[in-house]
Amino acid sequence: MADYTNYTNREMQAVSIARSVQNGQIAIVGTGLPLIGATLAKKCFAPDCTLIVESGLMDCDPIEVPTSVGDCRFMAHCAVQWPNARYVGFQANEWQHGGNRMIAFIGGAQIDPYGNVNSTSIGDYHHPKSRFTGSGGANGICTFVNTVIMMQHEARRFIEKVDYVTSPGWIDGPGGREKAGLPGDRGPMMVVTDRGILKFDEKTKHMYLAGYYETSSVQEIVENTGFEIDVSHAEKIAPPEPEIIRMIREEIDPAQVFIKVPA
Amino acid sequence: MNKIHTLHDAVEKFVHDGDHIAFGGFTTNRKPYAAVYEILRQRRKDFIAEGGPAGGDWDILIGAGRVKAFINCYTANSGFSNVSRRFKNAIEQGTILFEDYSQDALILMFAGAALGLSYIPVRVMLGSDLVNKWGISKEERQKIDKLPNEKYIIQDDPFNPGQKLVLLPTPKLDTAVIHVQKASPDGTCRIEGDEFHDVDIAIASKHCIVTCEELISNEEIRRDPNLNKIPGFVVDAVVHAPHGAHPSQCYNYYDYDAQMLRDYDAASKTAEDFEKFITTWGYEPKTHEEYLNKLGAGRLIKTRVVPGLGYAPKAKK
Repeated sequence: MADYTNYTNREMQAVSIARSVQNGQIAIVGTGLPLIGATLAKKCFAPDCTLIVESGLMDCDPIEVPTSVGDCRFMAHCAVQWPNARYVGFQANEWQHGGNRMIAFIGGAQIDPYGNVNSTSIGDYHHPKSRFTGSGGANGICTFVNTVIMMQHEARRFIEKVDYVTSPGWIDGPGGREKAGLPGDRGPMMVVTDRGILKFDEKTKHMYLAGYYETSSVQEIVENTGFEIDVSHAEKIAPPEPEIIRMIREEIDPAQVFIKVPA
Repeated sequence: MNKIHTLHDAVEKFVHDGDHIAFGGFTTNRKPYAAVYEILRQRRKDFIAEGGPAGGDWDILIGAGRVKAFINCYTANSGFSNVSRRFKNAIEQGTILFEDYSQDALILMFAGAALGLSYIPVRVMLGSDLVNKWGISKEERQKIDKLPNEKYIIQDDPFNPGQKLVLLPTPKLDTAVIHVQKASPDGTCRIEGDEFHDVDIAIASKHCIVTCEELISNEEIRRDPNLNKIPGFVVDAVVHAPHGAHPSQCYNYYDYDAQMLRDYDAASKTAEDFEKFITTWGYEPKTHEEYLNKLGAGRLIKTRVVPGLGYAPKAKK
């Protein structure tokens, strides 16, 4: 019998993403870990959620894990294939809806205490030390939709000021989004890392530690966060059921495209 | 009217040095690779590239030094190369002009251009460095007539006082190159699966080259016009190029060639290995048919989709 109790931090990250989706929500799914998390959400935690993809695919239900948002694995079995521009307009119209009908997952290389994310480049923008893909759909998503941000939890990534703001979070605190011309009632809800879960204080919009995994610790998280962080609300997060880990390994990502199974 | 061209003639007629070009497809799906290799062989250069959701298509032309300015929102063979490596290298080394927009912005710029608008107002990019930082300066923009002098203009929304709008200039494209499943000799196109931004760039460009998996008669394609996406008068050249999107995917026809995408990932790490790769797959085959023969039938058959699934199961392995 395979062992499903030896879950990894990355698997825990996927489970945390999955737990953040509620029934009835429309989830914008990117590739990679968010996809594993969203697929898991639909299978286990929120079967009445709907997955949509920035290339214009609506109500997706992939059988095999797609490698990108334009993958045929997403196209097969989705309900509607919109032209790309139609998706962009649909997302922008969330401005009028309010509420929490939609949720989205974005990732990045750097994040600051207000949830501003960099997925463009490290160092000087014109002569970068390291250049990444660019915004993709993330900037549009974070403009109109509440986001869950996925990050590797390292001090060089959790920093006071990011080198380039690709996806604005709460900007510089309360009122920051409105001042910039963004809807103030949307923004980053949560940061899910491979060590724990961080949320944003309702008054200050500053990040705080909400929870840590059984496989991590408060101290480890503080050491790996490059800015001061309030840990007074931190709680230990329940481990995943072995059945959930079995589903990730056997059904959702059996080829280990995004999550490696421990040897 | 018969618009059927050889790939060579289509590129020779409609792709010129310095052109402002957009490709169809999305990262690893329906990218017009056959045409990319023909552009490579014909040594066309100095492109103003309107990247859209790009992957190996523009990475190859950037690596070969053919791109003067790259208007970018995302460039990766997702799942194979997290960031396209020649693109990454060109920006890190400062050998290319580049401008970042969000993907939403670029898609709407294409849609706006297709609607005949000179600019399109959006609410994205506000509060980010996509508006605070310019990749290409005003001075540099004034030297290149294909580029607008401003990256964007921020304005108050005249209909909703107190709200801000970002006005984005729409591209004046010379040529669009798209790969579709079916086309007829008069240029009518049928796209199966997600059309991405392909219809918009086809309409927005002065010229449009279409490569297709299957040529079907003008009569046959009209039997179900609701499945057709582009009327013939939009298209200048129709090229029959089966597997013309290889190694990317083509819905209902074939999956990606994971081995080649992995090989490209490894080869594009260094300039030397990249050169070897494009020599092997770009320059040495003189035509798309020679490219397919070099790949071999067995390799192509392996990527055929399973009807009902729409992809080739386990294609990643």
